[in-house]
Amino acid sequence: MKAFLFAVTLMAALPPIATAQAVNPRDLSGYWELTYMDSQHVPRAQLAPRVTRAVLDAQAQKDFKAIRWCNILGMPAIMASPRPLDIRQTDRTIVIAAEINAATRYIYLNRATHISSDIFDPTTNGDSIAKWEGDTLVVDTVGFDPNKGLTAIPGGGFRTANSHLVERFRLLNNGSQLSVRFTWTDPGVFRTPHSYEFRYARLPRDYEARLPLNCDPFDETRTAFLTARP
Amino acid sequence: MQVKLFAALGVLAIVFGAQAVPTAQRTAADGARVLEGGWVRLDTTGSGSFGGLTSTFTRARLTPEGAAKIRPQRDPDDVDPDNRPHKAGEPYIVTQGRCGVGGPGVIEPNSAAFFVIPTRDELLIAREGPGARHIYMDGRDHPPLSRIVPNGAGHSTGRWDGSDLVVDTIGLAEGGVTAGGWRTPETHVTERYHVADDGKRMRITFTWTDPKIYAQPHSYSFDFERLPADGYAFENWCDSGDPLQRQSVVPPEQLP
Repeated sequence: MKAFLFAVTLMAALPPIATAQAVNPRDLSGYWELTYMDSQHVPRAQLAPRVTRAVLDAQAQKDFKAIRWCNILGMPAIMASPRPLDIRQTDRTIVIAAEINAATRYIYLNRATHISSDIFDPTTNGDSIAKWEGDTLVVDTVGFDPNKGLTAIPGGGFRTANSHLVERFRLLNNGSQLSVRFTWTDPGVFRTPHSYEFRYARLPRDYEARLPLNCDPFDETRTAFLTARP
Repeated sequence: MQVKLFAALGVLAIVFGAQAVPTAQRTAADGARVLEGGWVRLDTTGSGSFGGLTSTFTRARLTPEGAAKIRPQRDPDDVDPDNRPHKAGEPYIVTQGRCGVGGPGVIEPNSAAFFVIPTRDELLIAREGPGARHIYMDGRDHPPLSRIVPNGAGHSTGRWDGSDLVVDTIGLAEGGVTAGGWRTPETHVTERYHVADDGKRMRITFTWTDPKIYAQPHSYSFDFERLPADGYAFENWCDSGDPLQRQSVVPPEQLP
């Protein structure tokens, strides 16, 4: 009994060994990276009848032009970045900065309605507002520009001026993973809402961000690589 | 409804309460709260141009070694002028139309808005296009220069001095500095972000130090105005594939 009490007292006096740090399920700040191919669960989209092969080819041509000329990519490409995303959050705003050629994403927690389409100029990232539902951050985005950036949506289809995106961000595994479930609604493109999920791994706190890789639209070697048949 | 009203009032009290605290009494947490948000650079002298504003700054005092480094700066995107007259409405090309990422405007804000997002480990300064400045607030040191690829943003660490944010940066690509200065990857630039008592204005004081280049620290300040609370980030669009991007000068019709 004495030995037991001594052991309990000793354990109480010692600092905890490798105790898991308490994670705030509503704090997404950190560096997040898509890992091996198992981090993306993307079913094939059910496309609307009007989205014919010719429509898809025309859209692919527009997307190719965006890549060829180093245009900023926008949503949803920024969320599929092969490099880490820096997500920083305050009470008012969540900002997502990527290491690819994409404009920084701003998600506003301090307003409940979208900016009027009368004054909002459509962008590659759209206008994003968000609220917490329990421990899930629900982000609602409209106001996409259909002609700028990389419009292709994982699983099929593309964003248009009528696209409506809902993302549900949620921490998993004691904050070591971030799940984002994307749902696109656009009757002109999808027969039914199109959903897929990405899971990002949290990087160590001492990770150091890099500037986006340079993209030179006047690099002739690069242009030849992109345009010539292999 | 009442809960929402009280929550909204609470947020307003936190935001504007911190702004109402005189700077001398502000803590680091107050500093973070008042610094958060969008800011736009002001032309405080009414000069009407970037060159006009910076021409009022004290010129850098360089060492002989520093003075020898100075060479004309030219935007690599510039196209040599064809030196012939152009009729009104006839566009002509002065740049290649290259849309860049980063560049000299990374450290010194230009006329576009920038946004400060302070968090515990890192303070992010983001613009209305790609790229952002990551300022590490977790006490880490700069890595050895041998591990930094010099670039327009360099490597930045920050700390709070009272409610002022103080940022130290090295690893910048070699090039010119405002008001006759020069920088190499070894050069340190310190930025002090000070928000005024009313929370609506901010001053960033830049101080460049490098014993090889400067005979004394080279300092100047820019002033900024806070964006309205309901302001939001625009998106800077530039398309190198658009021929109009290169037709950067169009002489206007002249009045008779």
